[in-house]
Amino acid sequence: MSSTLLVDKHVTYIQALAKNKDDLAYHLTTHLRMNAIYWGVTALFIMERPDALDRDDILDFVMSCWDEEAGALYFWSAFGANPGHDAHILASLSAVQLLATYDALDRLDTVDSKRARLVQFFLDRQNEDGSFTGDQFGERDTRFLYIALNALSLLGCKDDLARIADKTVAHVIRCRNFDGGFGAEPGAESHAAQVWVCVSALAILDRLDAIDIPLLAWWLAERQLPTGGLNGRPEKLPDVCYSHWVLSSLSTLRKLSWIDAPALERFILAAQDEEGGGIADRTGDMPDVFHTCFGVAGLSLLGFPGLRDLDPVYCMPADIIEKRGLRKDWEALPRRAA
Amino acid sequence: MHGVKRAKQSREAIEAKKKKEVALLADYRALEEDVIARKRAGDYSEEAFTLTTKLLKLNFEYYSVWNYRRQILERATFPNASPDKINEVLSVELTFTSAALRQHPKVYWIWNHRSWCLEHVPDGPSEEDPHGWKTANWNKELFVVEKMLDADARNFHAWNYRRVVLASLPVPRPPAEELAYTRRKIESNFSNFSAWHQRSKVFASVWETQEPGDVKLAKDAEFELVKNALFIDPNDQSGWLYHRWLVGDGADVSILSREVGVITEILEIAPDSKWCLDSLVHYKRLLLRGTPLGVDSRALRQECTEILQKLEEIDPMRRRRYQDLRREMDVEA
Ligand SMILES: [Zn+2]
Repeated sequence: MSSTLLVDKHVTYIQALAKNKDDLAYHLTTHLRMNAIYWGVTALFIMERPDALDRDDILDFVMSCWDEEAGALYFWSAFGANPGHDAHILASLSAVQLLATYDALDRLDTVDSKRARLVQFFLDRQNEDGSFTGDQFGERDTRFLYIALNALSLLGCKDDLARIADKTVAHVIRCRNFDGGFGAEPGAESHAAQVWVCVSALAILDRLDAIDIPLLAWWLAERQLPTGGLNGRPEKLPDVCYSHWVLSSLSTLRKLSWIDAPALERFILAAQDEEGGGIADRTGDMPDVFHTCFGVAGLSLLGFPGLRDLDPVYCMPADIIEKRGLRKDWEALPRRAA
Repeated sequence: MHGVKRAKQSREAIEAKKKKEVALLADYRALEEDVIARKRAGDYSEEAFTLTTKLLKLNFEYYSVWNYRRQILERATFPNASPDKINEVLSVELTFTSAALRQHPKVYWIWNHRSWCLEHVPDGPSEEDPHGWKTANWNKELFVVEKMLDADARNFHAWNYRRVVLASLPVPRPPAEELAYTRRKIESNFSNFSAWHQRSKVFASVWETQEPGDVKLAKDAEFELVKNALFIDPNDQSGWLYHRWLVGDGADVSILSREVGVITEILEIAPDSKWCLDSLVHYKRLLLRGTPLGVDSRALRQECTEILQKLEEIDPMRRRRYQDLRREMDVEA
């Protein structure tokens, strides 16, 4: 089992994903393409290999997913997951994150004012009660609430965020449970991914006071299992992606010390595919770009040598967030020397 | 991808698989192009609808195609159909998606499509019975959700959806039925935290309107239920979390003291149970906060410190938390 991060292999793995366009698997996952590129690019940036994919190719792809039609009646537009796919908040955040990562948000400053229509898209997703929907069909989920706040802040919409803050926070509080965690909706069970989105949403709005920090950090710390990996809910299996969501939440709450960092690091490294590259949900499983991103991101927060700092609130390179003046008071483990 | 074992494949095996996929891929691509072109052109024909079925069966996560399907229904099918016909079309949709869910119980888009269908069930069958169809469909939905939860008792899509269904039933079910359901789930597996969680939500809303005496009786029965679970497996966190919810802020000192006694008993059979020890510290600290008459706070504090030291040894992964708690107690003292 490897105690090193196989950077070269992971880079090759991510590059190959972008190339194998004659695979059935590639075409069966077009609904995730924009997200997959964000996961791949983020992993590459954190591994300090930002040039491994062609910047212009990616930016052209992002802009080719602009869906002109979905919101035409309501004066909004947004991004779909692939050219020809409908606008959705999931793809739209990844698009904004990719543009921000490559410092190319000015691609939205077009004569047909894409930026303004995109901002309108995110704002229009909010319901009266403060919750957010993913598209015009109405699925509500705290994931979408976080996504809107993340994108709006990357797009520099400070005033809009201040205006919607109170009702947004009120909704997050309604999703809070007795264990200190948060669910997808009021009444829903706490779940590490939903905790991460709610903690990050509150961090973006500077409202971490809505969290019972000792209680939630205790619940988060209890996600760690003897294997070192973390699960997403009580009595479930450990997983690299859940590990990352718990870890990011603990980092934002400044309680990273409450788990065993070396044990988690070993768990993530053991989930690498030592031959083909990529990281899986746990050791011995098939790797994918999603777990590769969150594995690398987790290692960055744990201070793994040679990696770029990750911002746990935005899940993007920390320096890029800092440059936009959006850094919050999170804490990661100090970067170790190689 | 979750839980897919990595298989070592030879170059030949990969090539053979790729070859087999070539025809499949060509068909898929042709179908996809056709559907997307029709969607762009605003083709709301029955033929287009049938093609979306075909494509979704190959890829249930194709959200734009689900959207297209709903557009066809809303823009072409429903405006020209009697309520009877609409109800019928929607039941076909529900049958289609329940087959899909059995294969893909965690695909958000399928769950969404179901709830969209149910929201669009028209009034009927008659003026005298305007909620007949809705009631029948939502009741059936509850049955579907229960089947899903039989297959995977922790599926959080199914639990979340269950709450939507319960809230949508035209004639609400009495909370006692949901309590009986969660009790069955818990008794078949004490580790099912999803069921404990659901139970806490039902009680929280029931207790809002009940007399304090009734609430106390119900709570005592819950303490009894969870005590059984804790005695059977003192290391299962689900019961401990529920117990913590029942105790709450510990304002009722008599309950708090009684429960400290119960946990001390459990500790005798499981002296190294970290959940037992952690709970004990938590409740003793709550007792300290109230400092009721007759409580020797110095002794309590000492007990907490000793338990925290023991926790550091038996649960080293989280030792920093126990150290932090000890430091906090020193500051309080
Ligand atoms: Zn995962």
